[in-house]
Amino acid sequence: MLSSRSINRSMFWRIIRRLLGANRGRLFVILLALGAGAAVTAALLNLQVDAKRRLTTEFRALGANVIVAPRDVTSSNPATLDEAVLNKIVEGPHVSAVAFLYLIGDAYSYDSKNPTHVVIAGEQDGSSVEVSSVQPASAIGSISRFETNCTFGTKVATEMHLQLNDRLFLRSQGREETCHVTIIHTTGGPEDTQISLRLDAAQRLAALPGRISLVQISVPGTPQAINSYIASLSQKLPDADVHGIRQFTEAEAQIYNRISGLLTATVAVVLILTALCVMAAMTNVAMERKNDVGLMKAIGGATRRVLRLFLAEAALLGLAGGVLGATTGMLLSIWLGKAVFGVAARPRLIVYPVAVALTILVAIAGAYPLRRLASIRPASVFRGE
Amino acid sequence: MFLRLVADSFRRRPRHKLLTGAALALGMAVATAALSVSLDVGDRLAHEFRSLGANLLVTPQADSLPLEIGGVDYRPVNAGAYLPESDLPKLKTIFWHNNIIGFAPILEIPITVGNPASVPEISSYIPTTEVRLIGTWAQHEISIPDGSAYVTGVEKTNPWWHVQGRWFANKPTECVVGTKLARRLNLSVGSALMIFERKNGGLESSRQLTVVGLLQTGGPEEDKIVAPLSVAQMLSDKQGQYRQLYVSALTKPEDDFGRRDPVTLAPADYERWYCTPYVSSIALQIGQVLPGADVRVIRRVAEGEGRILTRVQTLLWLVTFAALLAAALAVGASSAASVIERRTEIGLMKALGAGSGMVGFLLAAEQLLLAFVGGGVGYALGIVLARLVGEKIFGAAPQPSLLVLLVILGLAAIVTLLGSALPLRRASRYEPAPILRGE
Repeated sequence: MLSSRSINRSMFWRIIRRLLGANRGRLFVILLALGAGAAVTAALLNLQVDAKRRLTTEFRALGANVIVAPRDVTSSNPATLDEAVLNKIVEGPHVSAVAFLYLIGDAYSYDSKNPTHVVIAGEQDGSSVEVSSVQPASAIGSISRFETNCTFGTKVATEMHLQLNDRLFLRSQGREETCHVTIIHTTGGPEDTQISLRLDAAQRLAALPGRISLVQISVPGTPQAINSYIASLSQKLPDADVHGIRQFTEAEAQIYNRISGLLTATVAVVLILTALCVMAAMTNVAMERKNDVGLMKAIGGATRRVLRLFLAEAALLGLAGGVLGATTGMLLSIWLGKAVFGVAARPRLIVYPVAVALTILVAIAGAYPLRRLASIRPASVFRGE
Repeated sequence: MFLRLVADSFRRRPRHKLLTGAALALGMAVATAALSVSLDVGDRLAHEFRSLGANLLVTPQADSLPLEIGGVDYRPVNAGAYLPESDLPKLKTIFWHNNIIGFAPILEIPITVGNPASVPEISSYIPTTEVRLIGTWAQHEISIPDGSAYVTGVEKTNPWWHVQGRWFANKPTECVVGTKLARRLNLSVGSALMIFERKNGGLESSRQLTVVGLLQTGGPEEDKIVAPLSVAQMLSDKQGQYRQLYVSALTKPEDDFGRRDPVTLAPADYERWYCTPYVSSIALQIGQVLPGADVRVIRRVAEGEGRILTRVQTLLWLVTFAALLAAALAVGASSAASVIERRTEIGLMKALGAGSGMVGFLLAAEQLLLAFVGGGVGYALGIVLARLVGEKIFGAAPQPSLLVLLVILGLAAIVTLLGSALPLRRASRYEPAPILRGE
């Protein structure tokens, strides 16, 4: 009994080997179709996981999207926050926070004695992230951190006829700072009409040591992640007002949804396409196999066993095509990630078995036309019909 | 004879041809859908990015420095310069006028408001509040020099502003109030608001506004009143003037060429730069029609948008390319399979005296016919598929384009020919005798 089963099994595999080896050209064609499908599927799946995450980090290009400000700011009461809130803001891998203190002061250049009223912004990075990651701007000049360097908005610079490397005084209620024009930038935002300098210098000018007006935070992530970040931060800072900059959070959510929808749709479409193509190829195989099946049946092969044989063949092809294709696909996605985002997509191991399993499924589903083989009558095949 | 052979091949095995044709059509349908969606997606996404709001800011050149902190301007009321409202229709006459999605002029003034019920018969204490009023357009119709009308306003430049109730109509008696201010003054939709003016040393009620909506912006505007521009102009005595203009324009992400200084460009390059919708060239064109204005690009919006748009477009093109490649491979494979199984037929033809060239030509003609029919059907299917995807994701279907049809037919022809070339070459080497013997 045992030996007959093992003979059966070895016969089964022998037939499969023969089936596979019978027509090299066709084998190659089917493997190519399956492999191409698996490669594209694996590449897209990997990229989809990666691209969504990366897209949300791309949104950093838009700058800060969350603001921490004191409650109840009115024109008569410009309230400030304690600098210590900065420590409570979680600095994740991509979260960066910048503290600002605003005051209105007078700027004097050396040759003119008429002051210009101007908004002075003190800013300090909560981390080592450079300012430009929170405030995209086109700037000329360079920063050196060892002087009281000032960044001038283009409007201020034009108004005061300033050039790079000019020096001038900033005064506020009797206190004074000297200031060296190191950068002149154009942002199209309020910074164009401000002078910005280091936070401690601004605090000295305003006589508000350890106080800040607001914190700008740039939080990457899905809309839900940003909302939960805001919620947890406002719990930690009960006396401050934490809110998203709606202009950016809303637009980011909308764009994110569109793009991830597009990626998902593409992956689905490619998968369906692969299944259909394999199915068409398998139909051809089925028609070609008429004679084989007729013969098998004539010498006593039960329909079920014959079908099992073909399904095993399809699954084997799927496995081979899947393994080869998925490997190619992972390499492809690494390259794609580099081409699109400048950083190689991290291969995700979970994608590999998923892609192989999907390919095997597709191969077996593609063998559906083989069902017709069950209805073949050996006699009619041998008559040549 | 040749045509008869081809026709016969189709008639004899219709089911077979149908299957190969179906595989071809499906592959090409996917290729069509991917191609039309990604051809269209740049424009669509650029539109999506307009939800970020205005990307250009126009201010008077002669304006004094605004002393604005947290949305509150500490500048004296009469300081600064203004721009004439009558110039605004000219914005729709610039070269890229179709790319201008919307614009809204802003005139912000400080005012004193109170509850109309508190207007006293005999002058005594009046409970009033100092607030700021933004005069702008919500849905304002302007007539463009070419005779047509155009509706624009903050609804288009600041799409993240949500109004509970409705925006004010273009009447000088309606306004919208920020939610914070509404809470502070205890106002709701339908309440009335009295504006006071300082005259002869005392406050005098001058004008009554009806609150028609509550404004949520997530910004300092929630503490302000938004009213038609004409109201702000009358209250500040600046008839026909505004102070800031926000413009939202569809732009092409700036590349290296777009970032070059137009002054240094050669005339031909300048022409190309001017006729490309870069945000900087649109800014230049706006500056040309608005004399005395300083047009600045809002870098934060424009550059962020440009960078993300470029990335996403590259991604989609690569994905489309991958889908095209997969479709091509699959179609090639199925046409190869259809040639392989006709060995017997090829053997017979050769036995009857057909040359290898003749056989190849015949099969190629069949495959080409199949490619054109399958490609055509696939194109039609793909357009439907693209519509579905486009409507589901962007709410707008991509326009079918002739270019895609040509690309698809070409691709179908090339792919089927390439797919069948390899087996055909082998078929040309077949010796008829063994094949006919069934070996």
